[in-house]
Amino acid sequence: MPDEVTLTIDGQSVTVPKGTVVVEAARKIENLIPVFCYHPKMAPVGMCRMCLVKVGTPKVDRGTGKVELDTDGKPVIQMMPRLQTACTTPVSEGMVVVTKDAEVEHAQKGVLEALLTSHPLDCPVCDKGGECPLQNLTMGWGPGQSRFDYSDKVHFQKPIPLGDLIYLDRERCILCARCVRFQDEIAGDPVLGFDNRGRSWMIISKSDPAFDSKFSGNTTDICPVGALTSADFRFKARVWELQPVPTVCNHCPVGCNMTFDMRANEIMRVMPRENDAVNEIWICDRGRFAHHFVASPERLTTPLVRKNGKLQEASWEEALDLVARQLDGIRESAGGKAVGGLAGPSLANEDLFAFQRFFRETLGSPNIDCRPGTALDLPLDDFGAEYGLTSGTDLMQLGKGTVVLVFGADPEEEAPVHLLRIRNIAKRGGTLITINGRATKLDRFAEHTLHYRYGAETEVLAAMLKPLYDAVPPEGKRAALRGFGDLRGVLANASAERAVANAGVDGPTLEKINQALASATNLVIFYGQEALRAGTSVTAGLANILTLARKAGAPNSGLVALVPGANARGALDMGVRPDRGPGYSALKQPGMAAHEMFDAARQGRMKALYIAGLDPVQADPTLAEALKKVDLVVVQELFLTATAQLADVVFPVLSVAEREGTFTNAERRVQRFRQARRPVAPQRPDWQILQSLARQLSAEAVIAASANVSDKSRRQARRAEEQARKRTDWSYASPAEILMDIAASVPLYKHISYASLESALGVWGRKPNEAYYFDGTSYENTGGLGKQVPAGAENGGTLSLQPFNVRTFSQPAERPWKLIATPFLYDDSTLLNGSALLNNRKARPVAALNPADADSLGLKDGDVISIASGRGELRLSVQRTRLAPQGVVLVPLHVQGVPLVTVVEAGVTAVAIRRAEG
Amino acid sequence: MPKTQLQEHIVLRNREIANIADIAVYTQHGGYETARKALTTMSAQAIVDEVKKSGLRGRGGAGFPTGVKWGFVPREIFPKYLIVNADESEPGTFNNHEIIDHNPHQLIEGIIISAFAIGANTAYIYIRGEFAYGARLLEQKIAEARAKGFVGKNVFESGFDIEIYVHRGAGAYICGEETALLESLEGKIGQPRLKPPFPAVAGLYAKPTVVNNVETLTNVPRIIEKGADWYRTFGTERSPGTKAVSISGHVKNPGNYEIPLGITMREFIYDWAGGMRDPNVPLKFIIPGGASSSWLTPEHLDTPLTWDDMAAAGTMLGSGAVVVLDESVSVVKAALRVDEFFKHESCGKCAPCREGTHFLVKVWERIDEGHGRPDDIELLSDVGRQMLGKCFCPLGDSAVSAVNSAVKFFRDEIAAQIK
Repeated sequence: MPDEVTLTIDGQSVTVPKGTVVVEAARKIENLIPVFCYHPKMAPVGMCRMCLVKVGTPKVDRGTGKVELDTDGKPVIQMMPRLQTACTTPVSEGMVVVTKDAEVEHAQKGVLEALLTSHPLDCPVCDKGGECPLQNLTMGWGPGQSRFDYSDKVHFQKPIPLGDLIYLDRERCILCARCVRFQDEIAGDPVLGFDNRGRSWMIISKSDPAFDSKFSGNTTDICPVGALTSADFRFKARVWELQPVPTVCNHCPVGCNMTFDMRANEIMRVMPRENDAVNEIWICDRGRFAHHFVASPERLTTPLVRKNGKLQEASWEEALDLVARQLDGIRESAGGKAVGGLAGPSLANEDLFAFQRFFRETLGSPNIDCRPGTALDLPLDDFGAEYGLTSGTDLMQLGKGTVVLVFGADPEEEAPVHLLRIRNIAKRGGTLITINGRATKLDRFAEHTLHYRYGAETEVLAAMLKPLYDAVPPEGKRAALRGFGDLRGVLANASAERAVANAGVDGPTLEKINQALASATNLVIFYGQEALRAGTSVTAGLANILTLARKAGAPNSGLVALVPGANARGALDMGVRPDRGPGYSALKQPGMAAHEMFDAARQGRMKALYIAGLDPVQADPTLAEALKKVDLVVVQELFLTATAQLADVVFPVLSVAEREGTFTNAERRVQRFRQARRPVAPQRPDWQILQSLARQLSAEAVIAASANVSDKSRRQARRAEEQARKRTDWSYASPAEILMDIAASVPLYKHISYASLESALGVWGRKPNEAYYFDGTSYENTGGLGKQVPAGAENGGTLSLQPFNVRTFSQPAERPWKLIATPFLYDDSTLLNGSALLNNRKARPVAALNPADADSLGLKDGDVISIASGRGELRLSVQRTRLAPQGVVLVPLHVQGVPLVTVVEAGVTAVAIRRAEG
Repeated sequence: MPKTQLQEHIVLRNREIANIADIAVYTQHGGYETARKALTTMSAQAIVDEVKKSGLRGRGGAGFPTGVKWGFVPREIFPKYLIVNADESEPGTFNNHEIIDHNPHQLIEGIIISAFAIGANTAYIYIRGEFAYGARLLEQKIAEARAKGFVGKNVFESGFDIEIYVHRGAGAYICGEETALLESLEGKIGQPRLKPPFPAVAGLYAKPTVVNNVETLTNVPRIIEKGADWYRTFGTERSPGTKAVSISGHVKNPGNYEIPLGITMREFIYDWAGGMRDPNVPLKFIIPGGASSSWLTPEHLDTPLTWDDMAAAGTMLGSGAVVVLDESVSVVKAALRVDEFFKHESCGKCAPCREGTHFLVKVWERIDEGHGRPDDIELLSDVGRQMLGKCFCPLGDSAVSAVNSAVKFFRDEIAAQIK
């Protein structure tokens, strides 16, 4: 094979792909060449000199150009005069490498002696002790004793905060630059650098605020010494005392694999767990540092029942009994339809499945939703499942030939680790296209970028769809696309010129984007909250691009919807929505959406509301009035949220750390999290509470069967009732059994079981803690890699084009500004409760305006403005920033003190801005 | 009187022509006519070939054939850059300094011709930060040349554009190493890069780049004007031409001399530089090619000053900086001084150099202070071995030259000091 190279390392032959460096080739045959600066995820630099080895190549006769042979007919090997760094030396055919002999050993000992010359050797008080490559390599390759007996080790002030999350101990630093390179090459936040030189050479932060990156925690994992430690874990525990328990991050739709590292039943730290198909070995700082909600003293510990107008502690029996009786009574008096249920998108699949079962089956109510019911609710996204990334797609394997289109999304804030993965596709030769209403960080890595005028998204999409549409060959192919004819009229007037005129995008760039889409081998389309909020025509347009590019259901292609919540995809798959059942099955009669439930409540038609893992009142305080008109409000929560405070009964639930379950991420990978912590109070998992209630209530079907007695013979009736009882039985002993039920009722989940999610073969492929990372951070994944469920379009069959319309937003003259709600990673979500470390990073309650706009309004930073839409008004102080496009005011989502719900309207919100008095 | 005469100066022409730094004087003596001839009548390839034929070798230290280096530049990648290494920082070296201050137009003319030869429209003169006068002077001289239409757009109406910028370094010896120079020029911390890629393929801003020393480029106008054959009448077969050599230390007449390559060290010291300063104090050792070169002793005096002969003697011609030291010098103090320099200049990028230079200085210091230990000579040699050939760039090796030379030639003296 021309792409493979065979070489000999310490007498052992190994064949590896061309371009492999010697250190990796050696690793393949378990020959461990020690390294410090080399890291398999980053370009080699050869700085630390630890990996020096002897390298020789076959001697080539200059005259004949042929390899010279010795008397035995073997190639004559010409050793290089100097030792070479194995991390930077690419392999070549016939190369001979010697990694163990006196000369190599002398060099390695020398390097370690040099490194330890400046090192403080304070292992007993160092957090890295026990998982420190410097410790381990010193034991394995070091000189044992230093001849440098001076007391003048380099001294620095120690430790210094490199930012508010990461501390730097310059004395321990061996200057391998892994952290600097990670920030440059992987995170794309080049905020670290070096200062000074020689022994005073040191790491510095170059940004203000210091170490301004959402990925900073990863530097503590890759640091081969104890130089970088996290403010969260410093001096908390010795690493050998920790018990890592596999979990899945519950903060965003990426679903990063992590471990909760436990000691004495407390989470000491959160570490990434390797899963190339999800997060490689990285996690973001929210995932790493925002775990304190678990051990927060604010957690609810016992059920609360409202007595004499006040919530008071109650026993589980009392609370469950009360809820069961009241629900039964309401069902009897007003029917199941007078009950509504809201279950949040960060609950486990098992909870959500149980939730919809409890409503549809037990209570006979079709009214369920996974949204809080405010003006900020996003449309229910089905395209992410129907046209989703096809199963088996691994973003890490994509590069050349792949076009990644990111539309109306800011992955850095919505799904941070996706930013790294998208960037990596671009680095491997893929074409990254970003199309947004405003500049995002991802633009920096994109080949083509368009910034549209908000409200004109469909104009851009029409101009992108048009050439793809026209390129579909007439005979046969068009007929194979349902809805093909419907698009003809819509796209009749579409053109790049029109998009340039109406959306303000750059024509030549649009042209290049269309060429890239037309020639893509793989097409991956990400869309986020701004695209979702812009209306279903936008997401339908994206789905149509995929279909017309002939990539719907095709390998390595599909849509990825960044819907907020760790299990937003799961909530939709499980049918926690008014319009579809589990697995997107059709319903005889759709129920009320969340906002309709609150409307009904205001009118006194809603008798009971059951809310799990959502806090509508926090998002929209006006909903409190509606709740007060509901006879029974039940809340399942971690905390006494604004909604819980208004409830009649509050059930305390177990957090993600105290129970097991599964989440389905944005790429539709079902992943399992385990119980890491023993509950410290009598909280229960969400599904169990629902099961307890269901067991106390007769299912609607059972009641119906027994009510039919008059129609049929008594025996028949008894049999029907018996069958209904069996069918509606609740006897789950564990979430694993619920998942079995899910597999039986949701076709997409047919092959999903706890056993199938546990498989970790194939990707890890290494012995635990093998020398890949040289015994530093263990990314070992013993908890399984999860399993991707297929996308709808993979079934084959006729593909449909989705209804798509071009709408241009017309701005009313009296409200000349556009208000855009912008998501932030660090918002005021309850999952950030207790993680005070992140407080400084939280989005501030400000209105971002372009400096030119602010000047035109005569506004300085901090001036208070009134932002008024057709619905209402809010007041905020101004932040001038070039990140805001002209004519747009950016207002953060889910931030306290920003009652966005009072002003937002569907699509683009037109607002008037004036300086607020006083 | 010197035994060997130089027929004429090639680079230090200021020694023959008064005020040659004045553009009027320079043009009176045929200045910029070679550039005009080259740009308007010659092909780039013809210039490269002529320089190859001349056998001109890089004057910065390594002696790599200049024409061959130019030949490595890929033709089809643009833009390309020519970098003039004027970071002259090697202790004992001050010959570029004289060219810059006193014969700047010949350097500028060399830049124009060389840039044309490699196809670069931009040249940067990276000049040592301390050469404030030289930097200002060069800017003034470039402005003069620009006023005459020799620099800028469409020079000599040849259709060729050349811009020359002067960039001052910030005081780091390592920035004389070509890749560290490029890093510094790009605004980054001055540290060497991993090679490959070599600058000829991916240099400044990852574009094809040639880095040449001041003296190398100053040779070019004369080679193109008078031809490779004329040039080869100077020097030896494998080291053709002349070399501006700085001599300092205990000699009667320290300073710069332009010598024909091939004269012996003895001729140079005794005939050209007037011999030892105090004839009663004999020569002890010579640091022949800058602080990074291995030392020579009186037994090497008959070594010819060529790249090959110096290499055969275990050292190098280097940057052309001969430091002559007599018997009044303490070997330990000299080695300590040299290694202190390298410790001070170590960039910190790799551990063996960063810590090794520090280690060496500590041991030399204790020997010098009378606290030496019996196995210190072995220790110095072993630390040297741990550094030699194992550092990221040659700076670490340079620090070992003094150790190995001192131990090789003066072990007894060091041992006596340790007792």
